[in-house]
Amino acid sequence: MHETELNDLSDDADYAASIQQGSPSNSRGDSSRRSGPIELSGAEVVYVKDNVAIHPTQYASERISGRLRLIKQATSLFMTWIPYKANPRGYESTGLGQSSQSRIPERDRNLYTIRAVSFTEIRSIRRHTPPLGWQYIIVVLQTGLAFPPLYFYNGGVREFLATIKQHVPLVRSADDANVFLVNDLQDPLQRSLSSLELPRVVPVSNGTPPLSPFSTDENHGSINETVNDWGHARLRVHDPARDISIQVLEKFSLVTKFARDTTSHLFGEVHNDVFSGNVRRPQIQSAPVIRDNERSDTKQESVDFVPVTPDPFEVDKISLVWGKPRQPPLRFDEWTIFLDSEGRITDSDSLRKRIFYGGVEHDLRKEVWKFLLGFHAYDSTYAEREYLAVTKKLEYETVKCQWKSISAEQAKRFTKFRERRGLIEKDVVRTDRSVSFYDGDDNPNVAILHDILLTYSFYNFDLGYCQGMSDLLAPILFVMRDEAESFWCFVALMERLGPNFNRDQNGMHSQLFALSKLVEILDSPLHNYFKQADCLNYFFCFRWILIQFKREFSYDLIMRMWEVLWTYYLSEHFHLYVCVAILKRYRKKIIGEQMDFDTLLKFINELSGSIELDGILRDAEALCICAGENGAACIPPGTPPSLPLETGSTYSHQEDEVL
Amino acid sequence: MSYAYLFKYIIIGDTGVGKSCLLLQFTDKRFQPVHDLTIGVEFGARMITIDNKPIKLQIWDTAGQESFRSITRSYYRGAAGALLVYDITRRETFNHLASWLEDARQHANANMTIMLIGNKCDLAHRRAVSTEEGEQFAKEHGLIFMEASAKTAQNVEEAFISTAATIYKKIQEGVFDVSNESYGIKVGYGGIPGPSVGRDGSSSQAGGCCS
Ligand SMILES: Nc1nc2c(ncn2[C@@H]2O[C@H](COP(=O)(O)OP(=O)(O)OP(=O)(O)O)[C@@H](O)[C@H]2O)c(=O)[nH]1
Ligand SMILES: [Mg+2]
Repeated sequence: MHETELNDLSDDADYAASIQQGSPSNSRGDSSRRSGPIELSGAEVVYVKDNVAIHPTQYASERISGRLRLIKQATSLFMTWIPYKANPRGYESTGLGQSSQSRIPERDRNLYTIRAVSFTEIRSIRRHTPPLGWQYIIVVLQTGLAFPPLYFYNGGVREFLATIKQHVPLVRSADDANVFLVNDLQDPLQRSLSSLELPRVVPVSNGTPPLSPFSTDENHGSINETVNDWGHARLRVHDPARDISIQVLEKFSLVTKFARDTTSHLFGEVHNDVFSGNVRRPQIQSAPVIRDNERSDTKQESVDFVPVTPDPFEVDKISLVWGKPRQPPLRFDEWTIFLDSEGRITDSDSLRKRIFYGGVEHDLRKEVWKFLLGFHAYDSTYAEREYLAVTKKLEYETVKCQWKSISAEQAKRFTKFRERRGLIEKDVVRTDRSVSFYDGDDNPNVAILHDILLTYSFYNFDLGYCQGMSDLLAPILFVMRDEAESFWCFVALMERLGPNFNRDQNGMHSQLFALSKLVEILDSPLHNYFKQADCLNYFFCFRWILIQFKREFSYDLIMRMWEVLWTYYLSEHFHLYVCVAILKRYRKKIIGEQMDFDTLLKFINELSGSIELDGILRDAEALCICAGENGAACIPPGTPPSLPLETGSTYSHQEDEVL
Repeated sequence: MSYAYLFKYIIIGDTGVGKSCLLLQFTDKRFQPVHDLTIGVEFGARMITIDNKPIKLQIWDTAGQESFRSITRSYYRGAAGALLVYDITRRETFNHLASWLEDARQHANANMTIMLIGNKCDLAHRRAVSTEEGEQFAKEHGLIFMEASAKTAQNVEEAFISTAATIYKKIQEGVFDVSNESYGIKVGYGGIPGPSVGRDGSSSQAGGCCS
């Protein structure tokens, strides 16, 4: 690991000495020029770095540059990262910009803003210093969630860490030289105790900072005002629909820390939008129905609904909006109507909508999934598809040959290959063996799973093989019954889900983070409960998201679930609304029994096999419509399964132990 | 089921060493080599008797794959016992023990009892780690040690039960404050039928959660 040595912070005595002699004063001088208001209020900027960026997507023009700062107030240290205004000045000065007009709307830029996170909330900082490309860090919070990577376009990670070290205890993890633990005590015994109670290790006086010093020039943010508005912005009207829309927005304003003017701007639209179909989503033809018989009693409840002191049992408001009844699956005769004489699907939106509401009959899946997954383009003709099938089959064989041709002698000298192969061999025999298609000794389908996965690990060598992939592949092969086709369908699926399997778990973290925001706007009492029970990392939903609920449903049902998700009809992130829908189903039990993290995890695990699919899909649809734009805004661009917008290396440079 | 104590166990170790098989052998007394690989965590439970007291073991079978570690670390909290498993036929699973131990030390209770298990001892002809090496490692790190086989069931009962016995002994010696659940121990109504104690001992009607 030569990169580690190159940038070794703690062992670099020269550097430490230069720090002592006040090289941070550079940054201090830097900051005093720009950040007058901060110093006036007793906070001191001890580190400033310009051109520190977030890459929400793979697309260079969607990168957000900003200013990273460390601010010291009394004995506490805070980190802020404030994006530059829409015209990314610093970004351009580096010559890295692709266009002067960033494609990220102001609102999304704000979504990423890191406003004064205290180091007492930070568990660790992981440093990445790839030999090529920019250095970046990932800041992991005590909750286990992480901020998106912060890229240092002008370097300075080492200085950043050194500065932190001057103000708070920062030790290198014994596990991984690139991980720096914050407030982690040296003594192993102490440490194991403190990891149990870390939030309490730090004195209370280090708690929430006065926020005003940090609302600085770059940004029109005023989170504290938004928070304080909670009480009086709430209107006590008796129209339940209106109540919900307002609650949703109020929660939203808290979640995203929007400036007050943004919020009130949204308020202006809301009466019409949230309930009567969303303006930005015109493809929804029928608005969700409000059930008449529900109306009278829910109206009563909504009057009682007070977000500040919620009664957890009375606020299942969203359930008064119902998703459309599920339809029977798409049949063959209907399917042919979608195809023109040459085999093109001219109205793919209607097709996707049809499948979203009903799924596909099993015999049709082999055909239709290729479109849903993106192996076939909707506007391709029969002839083009036939041609594609032939060329792709050959291409598959070529990639497969790459490992097939490795001799035993060569394999002896190719550890990574042997390890990958060993892992895949071990895992395919532990995948869906209770399904008759894969059961029994020496089942040839198990061997095909193996070959496809190993070929994929060569096709996408950077990502390689990771557990969970076999779960995603098995139903695809079951439907396709063809090795090469299954491979390409899997490739297409992994274009979207690949980041779930990134070594640093970034794709998973961003989805869990988005999920927590969705629950916050769609069910704030549940959110508050999770918060109080220290469950905000949403790790209990890890398996759901990693493999798209594969382990939670029988084969029949998971195929239905997947084809619905793969329409990406209402949202690319419909799966997150499914998560919210399931959690809401069981919220009474969760809150009523005061489940702690362990109990909750076990409870969620054991829901497997007992979740009612159609009802959940309807709820999820209703939630998705209800949340509308606000929901979409909780999900940062680039969160899987969004497609990467630009080709290039999708997968971050993987660590050595990658298989 | 009523119990005098409930102990939380976690099973850790590299992927494929046989953690899930050990659990299944212990809870169901069968060897099923074709069950699914573990993603996240799975749960098992069984009652045992120590010193004539019914003790319930609630066992967390965690995923071994490296990239899941950031998630699986959150499962250590409040475990009273851990089975740290390696595969005697795969040297690298033994080499990784130190890093597992480090995880346990960082994220679990300092008083957690750790049992080191060299699994798959039925495959003696493919052995890659000697018994002595296992013993040595255990001695150096203050662990209890056994070789076992989830396939033949050899030492499986013993491993789970002697871990429990050690924990029980620590309780008798007053090492734990059993009212503090961060030690992974819950006190039940020993032998008396009825609901188990709730999570903080105050609300006993909510006890149905740990079946
Ligand atoms: N011969 C033999 N094989 C075993 C034994 N225990 C497990 N195995 C085999 O090892 C494979 C992996 O066992 P698992 O229990 O699934 O491994 P795990 O540790 O749970 O792996 P992860 O869930 O991936 O972390 C199984 O498919 C079994 O065939 C054993 O005692 N003897
Ligand atoms: Mg397992």
